[in-house]
Amino acid sequence: MKFVRFLVKNVLRNKRRTLLTMSSIAVSLFLVATLLTLLDQLTNPPETPDSALRLITRHRISLFNVIPMSHGEKIREVEGVEAAYGSMWFGGVYKDPSNFFANFSVEADQFFEVNRDMIVPEDQKEAFINDRTGAVAGDSLAERFGWEIGDIIHLEGALFSFDPELTLRAIYSGGADDGSSLFFHWDYFDEGMNRAGIIGTYTIRTSSPEVLPAVAETIDSMLRSSTAPTKTETEREFILGFVNMLGNVQLFITSIVSVVIFTIVLVAANTMAMSIRERIREVGILKALGFRSSQVMALFLVESVLLALSGAMLGALAAWLVLPALNMAAISGGFVQRLAVTTPTLLLCAGIGLAVGVIAAGYPSWSASRRPTVQCLRMTA
Amino acid sequence: MKIPIKYNFRSLTNRRVGTLMTMLGIGLTVAIVVVMLAMVHGLDATFTDSGDELHLIVIRQGSQNEVNSYFNRDLYEIVRFLPDVARDENNQPLVAGEIITVINQQRLTGETSNVTIRGTDEMGFRLRPELSIVQGRMFQPGLREVMVSETLSNRFQDMRLGDTMRIDERAWSVVGIFEAGGTAVESEILAPYEDVAQEWNRPIYSSLLLRAESLEVIPSLQERISDDQRIQLQAVSQKKYFEDQTVASTGLKALAVFIALIIGIGSCFAIMNMMYGTVMARRHEIATMRAIGFRRRNILGSFVLEAAILALLGGVLGCLLASSFHGFSAGTANWATFSEVVYKFRVTPQIMMQGLLFALIVGIIGGFLPARRAARMRLIEVLRG
Repeated sequence: MKFVRFLVKNVLRNKRRTLLTMSSIAVSLFLVATLLTLLDQLTNPPETPDSALRLITRHRISLFNVIPMSHGEKIREVEGVEAAYGSMWFGGVYKDPSNFFANFSVEADQFFEVNRDMIVPEDQKEAFINDRTGAVAGDSLAERFGWEIGDIIHLEGALFSFDPELTLRAIYSGGADDGSSLFFHWDYFDEGMNRAGIIGTYTIRTSSPEVLPAVAETIDSMLRSSTAPTKTETEREFILGFVNMLGNVQLFITSIVSVVIFTIVLVAANTMAMSIRERIREVGILKALGFRSSQVMALFLVESVLLALSGAMLGALAAWLVLPALNMAAISGGFVQRLAVTTPTLLLCAGIGLAVGVIAAGYPSWSASRRPTVQCLRMTA
Repeated sequence: MKIPIKYNFRSLTNRRVGTLMTMLGIGLTVAIVVVMLAMVHGLDATFTDSGDELHLIVIRQGSQNEVNSYFNRDLYEIVRFLPDVARDENNQPLVAGEIITVINQQRLTGETSNVTIRGTDEMGFRLRPELSIVQGRMFQPGLREVMVSETLSNRFQDMRLGDTMRIDERAWSVVGIFEAGGTAVESEILAPYEDVAQEWNRPIYSSLLLRAESLEVIPSLQERISDDQRIQLQAVSQKKYFEDQTVASTGLKALAVFIALIIGIGSCFAIMNMMYGTVMARRHEIATMRAIGFRRRNILGSFVLEAAILALLGGVLGCLLASSFHGFSAGTANWATFSEVVYKFRVTPQIMMQGLLFALIVGIIGGFLPARRAARMRLIEVLRG
């Protein structure tokens, strides 16, 4: 403890240098925290008790192949299935293609049964189910376009030649997609499609996580020899399938993060080298007073860690504060809903700060502490 | 009188370790920026290099691309015999009817992704002269044979020459490997039209690829196709069709700009730090220069120049590092077609220039404040102290 004042004084000796080094580290760690959060969010979608109960059934070949609505009745009869609804990706355009957001037509009657983690007032649920041209939208989506209950939303069909005119009947929060999508009646869509009866996926709620694998197995084997054989996977696997399509996000982000960390090691090492070189006479004085080489080295190391760690935390905390406040949905065109830095990420950033501090001061402090005392005292800055 | 540039180089070599570390730091920053630009450019170029100005892609009205377009086969005959469609030496119209479908396949790394299969015929090959077979041979109709692009065959399981691909439990043999100069078709599997139509039980066309007789007739040909109420089709220029798909890189672009901006700011601080250190260490030199008649603005200019040289050297190093990524092959989702597009990183001279410009800006911004500090130094105090 008796060294604290000494250390702080040393860190603050050249305020400008300390400030610049810290800012440089902070800015870099802001980036590191943001990228790690993005990576975490993409490769590790949050698993809630509700999402752990859901399965998604699609055509075995790919999402492009549609399945008939008759599959739905069969699926609902499987033991362990509590509710299921068919949905079809509509991919409609709202005013301009740049306003991209996910929009689906869904079988409305069991929709809220399956998505019990969507928080919707009961009267709004009712209103949506009873209005054939009604729509339900997520809160962050509604906020993005300033929609209110009762608004007319005109979607332009891009994949299908059908332009639904919808009335917003309900706004949900939560759900697997964090309030970012719009859903309307499949029946209305099917009518626009001249009763083609096509469905992209079935979303299924099972009674417990234990029966989940068996249910998936039963559905797929039951439909194996049908006109449209299926593949049933957990909601999480289904979401990860999309992330996989993006390519090797993990490699991309971790390589950028590593290079950025390496550059801050260089910056911090440069600072420490400059700082130690200027103080070489003090090293001599300390040693003349009886400090051991290891103690001198430890003092420099702690000083460096103090500098790097505070810079790192500054950056990570800034990310923690700033990111949730940003409207990520609008910035990323609906790709990422929100970014929130988690505690493990904050801890990881602190670890990075610590490591950078130690590595940066390693060589210069070692060589300074080894230098003979007399030589140190003779040196001029 | 200007301070000779030699002075700056001497100073930089004087503090070798500091200079090298800062250079390396800037170099890595520039390398990140250049590699990201090369990635975005590579992805975009895959689309912008594709397509022929004389070619039109005919798809269903209301569809945005081939993947969600489908129409009856008899429409092919109508389009085929329209005037202004180019013909070959046997007076056959240059029109290829094709079918597109998407399958979910496993990458070599284990995860799955969507891949486009194009059912085509000999005419489809004639209209894509960029296609060349590098291994094996052309597929034969009726035998469930496919040809796979070289890039895909290096990314996905069971796509090497002689492999058997299982699609929905049916076996398809890979009989040929092709390449197409980095264009979009390199993200596709090619198979005989009839086989695909039969296998997927879809006796339809997704699109027609046709060649117009000349550039002049294109507008009228497009009009004729889209105005024909019988067929409900639209004809899009193949060039424009692919250019529209560059939206695939939008997210990457935004991410690249964000990263470049932040690491740029970080590098400015780093250079500033280094330059302040230099200025303080050289205050006697600076004062001496002032005393022998150099002006404040000469000092300012000289130090900004030194920071810029330092950053540019780092930039050159960064470009060298980044250039080793040239040709690196990667894949990402093309949300327009919902399938994987494979592209190569392209480190072009323009991109390197952008990287150097980035370094220069970082150097000038980072060098300005320390240089001003040097210029404002009060020489009496320095010389006395």
